[in-house]
Amino acid sequence: MIKFSVNTKKLLIDLYKSKSIGLEGNILKLIDDEGDSEFSEYIKTCTDNDKESRKKRLEITKQIQKKNTELELLNSENTRILGELQTTLDDSEFDKKQIEFQNNELLSWKEENERIQQELQYEMERTISAREDAEHAKANALSDLDLLQKKIQTELMGDIVKVALGVIAFVAVVTTGMYIFSMIVNKETNTIGPAWTNMFGILLTNAFSIVGTIMGVKYATKDKNNDC
Amino acid sequence: MIESILLVDDEDLFHLVFEDACSLLDISLSLKSVNSSDEAAKMFKQWFESGDHKEKPECVFVDLNLIGSAFDGIELVRKINFEYGNHVVIGIISSSNEPSEQAKALQAGAQFWLVKSDEIEPRLEEFRKDYPKFKNRTSKFKIYK
Repeated sequence: MIKFSVNTKKLLIDLYKSKSIGLEGNILKLIDDEGDSEFSEYIKTCTDNDKESRKKRLEITKQIQKKNTELELLNSENTRILGELQTTLDDSEFDKKQIEFQNNELLSWKEENERIQQELQYEMERTISAREDAEHAKANALSDLDLLQKKIQTELMGDIVKVALGVIAFVAVVTTGMYIFSMIVNKETNTIGPAWTNMFGILLTNAFSIVGTIMGVKYATKDKNNDC
Repeated sequence: MIESILLVDDEDLFHLVFEDACSLLDISLSLKSVNSSDEAAKMFKQWFESGDHKEKPECVFVDLNLIGSAFDGIELVRKINFEYGNHVVIGIISSSNEPSEQAKALQAGAQFWLVKSDEIEPRLEEFRKDYPKFKNRTSKFKIYK
């Protein structure tokens, strides 16, 4: 224990009374008052003051400690939220990249489609052109066929007419020859004469009939082609 | 009353709380606080090697998790008990109340486990009453929660 002299005790008591400055801390627990009631009172007052200030400091420190703990919790919560936000941001960035990638793919597909569409358009135009060409060729072929048919028909008709006219001419020559011969040799012409006349008439009629028929066929064929 | 206490805790604010609580409860006359287990181990090593026990504390309170230290509180307890000559009442002071950690502390030679919280004074008061038994090594490992 620590013991003070009377003067020191008086000095300490006076200092406390005049300026409220007293001893504090654990040293108070080591001071021996030696039965001095005034100094004992001083020590008790200083001890009480020290306890009071320590209590206040303890309370304040605890409050600060509590606030610190709360702040640490908030900080960790903030860190967690920031982490979540970062994760969400990263996810969004990833999704954005995915969407951009898909957009690029779609654009690529669109361009491909446009290219295919253009190719199809070109092919369609070529097909239409080919079809038109084919139709023209068909028309030309039909026309050529028609012409050929007409030519053949005309040639055939010409042949028929020639043969028919030949036959008519031959019969006419033969009949006429026979009729002339009968008259020259003075043979009876009562039969051959009317026969020659009738036959000649018939032959002429038939010849005109043939020519008329041919003309009629030609005219009818011409009208049918115009109608088509 | 405990003559001297050493507090090993990385939280400066707790140093103040512990000092005021010990003073108000008349637990100790002197209290020294350090922030890391490395610093405390260095001090004990020095006392052990020099054989000078004047500055050596009577009782040591060690925080379990010491941020910024090379090893945790339980390892420090083990070192003090098994490497630096023991001769102190030593225990853990932590906000954790994990039985597995308490078992490790007991194995390392801790004599008590004091749970840290806002109201530490009642636990320190109880500890003060039990202290003579810890000093005499007649008390079993005790948890103050």
